[in-house]
Amino acid sequence: MDSNTRILADRLANIVGPRHVKTGASELLVYENDGLPGYHKRPRLFVAPGNREEAIAVVQALAAANAPWVARGAGTGLSGGSLADGVVMIGMQRMRRILAIDPEARSATVEPGVVNVSLTKAATPFGLHYAPDPSSQAACTIGGNVAENAGGPHCLKYGVTLNHVLAATVVLPDGELLELRTPDADAVGFDLLGAFVGSEGCFGLAVDITVRLTPNPERICTMLADFTTVDGAADAVSTIIAAGIVPAALELVDAGTIAAVEASIYAAGYPTDAAACLLVEVDGPAAGLDDDVAEITRHCTAAGARSVKTATDAAARAKLWQGRKKAFGAMGRVAPTLAVQDAVVPRTRLAPVLREVARIAEKHGIRVCNVFHAGDGNLHPNIPYNGHDSAEAARVHAACDEIMAACIAEGGSITGEHGVGLDKLPYMEDLFTPDSLDAMCRLRDAWDPARRANPGKVVPVHRCREWMATPAARS
Amino acid sequence: MDGHAGGPVMTGTSSLAAPRSVAELADIVRDARAAVQRLRVVAGGTWSDAGTPASRIRADATPVSLRELRGVVAYVPGDLTLTVRAGTTLAELDAICAEHNQWCTLTPWGGNHGTVGATFATATNGPLARALGRPRDIALGLEFVDGLATTVRGGGRVVKNVAGFDLTRLLVGSFGALGVITEVTVRLRARPAVDRTWIVACEPGAAADIRRGAITPLAVEPLSAASAAALNAEVGALLVRFAGNAALVSAAERMLRALGSLTECEASAWSLVRETNAPVRSIEQDALALPLARRIKERFDPAAILNPGVLGESA
Repeated sequence: MDSNTRILADRLANIVGPRHVKTGASELLVYENDGLPGYHKRPRLFVAPGNREEAIAVVQALAAANAPWVARGAGTGLSGGSLADGVVMIGMQRMRRILAIDPEARSATVEPGVVNVSLTKAATPFGLHYAPDPSSQAACTIGGNVAENAGGPHCLKYGVTLNHVLAATVVLPDGELLELRTPDADAVGFDLLGAFVGSEGCFGLAVDITVRLTPNPERICTMLADFTTVDGAADAVSTIIAAGIVPAALELVDAGTIAAVEASIYAAGYPTDAAACLLVEVDGPAAGLDDDVAEITRHCTAAGARSVKTATDAAARAKLWQGRKKAFGAMGRVAPTLAVQDAVVPRTRLAPVLREVARIAEKHGIRVCNVFHAGDGNLHPNIPYNGHDSAEAARVHAACDEIMAACIAEGGSITGEHGVGLDKLPYMEDLFTPDSLDAMCRLRDAWDPARRANPGKVVPVHRCREWMATPAARS
Repeated sequence: MDGHAGGPVMTGTSSLAAPRSVAELADIVRDARAAVQRLRVVAGGTWSDAGTPASRIRADATPVSLRELRGVVAYVPGDLTLTVRAGTTLAELDAICAEHNQWCTLTPWGGNHGTVGATFATATNGPLARALGRPRDIALGLEFVDGLATTVRGGGRVVKNVAGFDLTRLLVGSFGALGVITEVTVRLRARPAVDRTWIVACEPGAAADIRRGAITPLAVEPLSAASAAALNAEVGALLVRFAGNAALVSAAERMLRALGSLTECEASAWSLVRETNAPVRSIEQDALALPLARRIKERFDPAAILNPGVLGESA
């Protein structure tokens, strides 16, 4: 460790206590990865503030030392957003207090390290829950969710993280403290909170976050429709949405995923001879819900479903969901490494894009298991492979490039909920013009003129003109 | 976008420029920046009333009209997304969507005379905002010409997207001070099977109960004096709207009946109420007082030529 890092570590230890600063190689090993396979980036040092004051003081100390940093929640991110390559890592896992729940206002204020599902558990006695539900919700944090503008199956009806964040206290990379809130309809001013949510840790560090809590539905009904063709399942998705029904969730699992799930301890009773299954959930007031179920059943049958199973009691519903929620774990049986991909296409282009993904997989001799938010057109082509086999890893990489290109060609996006991070950086130039990328750089520069927060993520640095043109900024 | 023959349309005595393409608009902004000629962005002109932030724009700013930049760029009804040029009026947007039994739920206060661009630029809400989203929730992506005369796209045309920093949320509600919005992609909804509206004669406090009831209303609005007069109803009565399938809306009607006497009316009552209630903004504050906001303004409009004064800053 160089002397500057030693001095910085001592300064941070004065703020958070020596136990919460890690500098040794073995101590830092655990922080070299997040949920994105294939990357190992060692932080310069690790610091874990225990409360809001410490977090602010840490960012201010890093500003004084002009030391770049990356914040990390639970490390479940799938785009490499929290990887810290030689820079300071701020771990938020100690800041996991729920500061307030206001059942009247249906809101909660939390520290950023609060685990997503913990908030829902705490809200349950009030008949409320936190709606955004990424598959990693048992581990991921609200702070990480805000950074990535995380989604989840139920975001189809309830909206993504952006739609649920009401306010945040943010310390800017220069140490200034800001209270951001959803813009008042009567006032005039920029939607800074809207810009902050999803900024992938590049705009500042949230030290507390206020989110909306959603009333628990009176009744929930989960359906499983099985199809002999993927096209049939994709068609059913479009007709259900076009009919004006807004299911709480509308997920597609394909044959590869079903095989992995049904062979695992998470077996959910999905028919193993199906080409694809749709998991459809409707929720809300009891009145009219059965009619929605009947209509969805009709649409599925018309699109070629062999059967539509309906579950209303909690145990049967949980079993149907288990296969979807634990699909990633089940794929662990197939191969040691899993690339969880993320892209979006217009809903009406699902069927051709899925055919193209299958063609790309075959061409590269890899296996793709699709399990995704079909209602949003948000694909997750998951690729189980052996990361230690460099030839296979290269084929996976080539296939991912082609899958992204196919989604862009259909007018889609390279990420619907996982973020750009490191993984999607190369595709940003395929999706946005140089002028648009430069505008994003300018927005980041306004928040963080010194480019200290999560350097090198989201927008390729060479696309930032002012940055390139200002020699002083490079030092 | 296709260019048209000839230059921007110039009309009237105030040398109103009405570019016919985004490239022409960019040229105007480029020239204005070079000459430090301030610009006032207008479209439908509905925001130029006194008492709105538009009234604060410096008087010497040259108007640039978006009225020639109108019409649909892309609409695939099955995707429930629509990309439209900013000068399109809300009435035109409604008509386009209605052909496919869909709607854009912006429906802002003030009515349907304004344009898509102005509604997003001013983030103007309407009675459906609470249930179906505000402009920031409805915009999926947009294109704008910033104060550097560069044409920028944020977001995309799909319903879920986290690629890149969120220029869409930045521009929505920025009152044209960061860029001139030229195109917006919006999230549409399928028209509900049943959509009913009642005037409920009840305690004003019932509004909160209805909003928090087991069945979420599409809209609840206490009638102002003007709205009540237009609807021939009591001031303070509630205008309440429920939508969904028939069984759901019937259950909602039974619930409402327990609160007071009901008079059912056409959905057009909402147009009346929106037209009689123009959006009101607080105009005292200086939105650029915050250093972060000032830095953003500097990076998107360094010459301060776009709608100078609209954010309450002293120009």
